[in-house]
Amino acid sequence: MKRTMLALRHVTRTFGDGESSITILDDLSFEVSEGEFVAVLGPSGSGKSTFLSIAGALLTPTEGEVVIDGQPLSGLNSQKLAGLRLNKIGFMFQSANLIPYLKVEEQLLFVAKLSGMDRREAQRRAGELLERLGLEKRRNYYPERLSGGEKQRTAIARAWMNRPAILLADEPTASLDSNRGQMIVRMIAEEVKAEKKAAVMVTHDERMLHYCDRVLHLEDGKLREA
Amino acid sequence: MFLSLREIRHAKARYALLLVIMLLLTFLVLFVTGLARGLAYANGSAIENMPVNYFMLQKDSDNRFSRSMLDQTQLNEARSRIGKDKMASLGIRMSTITVDGGSRKTDIAVFGVDMSGLLAPDVIQGSAVADTDEGKVVADRKLEQSGVKIGSTIKDQATGMSWKVAGFTSDASYSHAPVVFMNELEWSKLARTSSMPGGPAEGAFNAIAVKGDKAVLAEAAGTMTDVDLISKKTAIAGIPGYSAEQKSLTMMIAFLFIIAAFVLTVFSYVITIQKTGQFGVLKAIGVKTSYLAGSVLTQMLLLSCTSVAISLLLTWGMVQVLPASMPFSLKPAVIAFTSLLMIAVSAAGALISVIRVAKIDALDAIGRAV
Repeated sequence: MKRTMLALRHVTRTFGDGESSITILDDLSFEVSEGEFVAVLGPSGSGKSTFLSIAGALLTPTEGEVVIDGQPLSGLNSQKLAGLRLNKIGFMFQSANLIPYLKVEEQLLFVAKLSGMDRREAQRRAGELLERLGLEKRRNYYPERLSGGEKQRTAIARAWMNRPAILLADEPTASLDSNRGQMIVRMIAEEVKAEKKAAVMVTHDERMLHYCDRVLHLEDGKLREA
Repeated sequence: MFLSLREIRHAKARYALLLVIMLLLTFLVLFVTGLARGLAYANGSAIENMPVNYFMLQKDSDNRFSRSMLDQTQLNEARSRIGKDKMASLGIRMSTITVDGGSRKTDIAVFGVDMSGLLAPDVIQGSAVADTDEGKVVADRKLEQSGVKIGSTIKDQATGMSWKVAGFTSDASYSHAPVVFMNELEWSKLARTSSMPGGPAEGAFNAIAVKGDKAVLAEAAGTMTDVDLISKKTAIAGIPGYSAEQKSLTMMIAFLFIIAAFVLTVFSYVITIQKTGQFGVLKAIGVKTSYLAGSVLTQMLLLSCTSVAISLLLTWGMVQVLPASMPFSLKPAVIAFTSLLMIAVSAAGALISVIRVAKIDALDAIGRAV
């Protein structure tokens, strides 16, 4: 049986209280297994960001439980959660959000250093990821000199650097044209297979779905299979 | 260190600007401090270097030597109550002299002391003056700048008396003037020649320098006729012009520190605000707040330590080219204190930024939370 990388169990999230409270996620349950690449679709305002924040240990659910790579999140303090995000979760954001003053390779070495990875091992791993993503010639470039696609590829590499259990991508193609977007999604899919891990991509762009193993729709606070 | 160093490397111009501001402020603080200490020294080094810790002055003389007048009565009382080897009389008057018959005038301070007592000057060149020598004095070596040499004759303008300079001593200034030491014999001659009818009695002087435990001295002073006991520090502060000079310079130094604190705080805060989004992303990918706060603080400390180091070099260079007559004095302890205070001020300035960093929410990184 395949390992479950991420599980949300009966997760509810409400904002505000009393009369004016709004339920964004309503008793939502969801699992991603090893080797799976799942897309979550939904119109804006459907709670995609809330869903991703809860799955990414950035936001605590009002009710329910989140388990990442077998580790339940309830009861962890903010320090422990930060450590878990560093080692178990890889994030990709709408715009690549690279650190402007680090060169491409340093973006990867930095997260490796924080997680305490051996330096030589980190060098090797960074080299391997950059090569797979076609960035070996850009390793000494600052983000300002990269194209949008290259930035997002660097973000993919950074997200996978610490061998997380799961990659969470928040509209990773939003700032790219269709062709480049396709390429980025394909690369995420390839890395999921190569790393034998899992990925969840939140998007509203339906053209990006053919690389995904499963497509889910977020509606009325619940996830439905397409 | 990883982030701080690389950010400085990337934004060289921005950090160079901050470095230069800090450097100039630190340099100015060091320079004004040196000047203040130098002026203080030029004003009171003769008193400062006396091997005593208290002075007895006439009552109600406002801690000023020039307003105090004591005579043999008090001297005898002091001798019997404190002990001969722990006290010495001191006569002070300001004067103007000409050197070797020339017409150029120089201000000096005349100290009349017991040449075999506590206040006898250390002669570094030439010969000392004995209590019985007539017409001989020991002068501070700063008088060399006015053309005085060993063997020169200096003439008091007011009385027409003249003395031969037998030896030089060093670091003896009073009220910005070099001190000329004479024995009690010459001092009473000078007093006699210049005093008006009804003036001070024979053998009058200004103060009794004493050393010992405060309680003992205070008790002795209490039983003596018409005297106050003041500390050496108070006595120096009572030198005309000393307090006014030091207070205004101290105020300048304090303001420089306040300005430094504000400039550094604002600069660091603005840079931090600019990076709010970045810090959010870093927190989201799992960087601990303590690491980010440490990074902000490290950056500030790196900059402040570098700027302090450079400004110390600048100050050192400045001291090398300053004319010797410029009063400037920076002791290692003062340098260390000023440097550490500057570094502490910059760290305090970074503190508000650190609080700001702590408040940044990782959720901002993801589109919108809701």
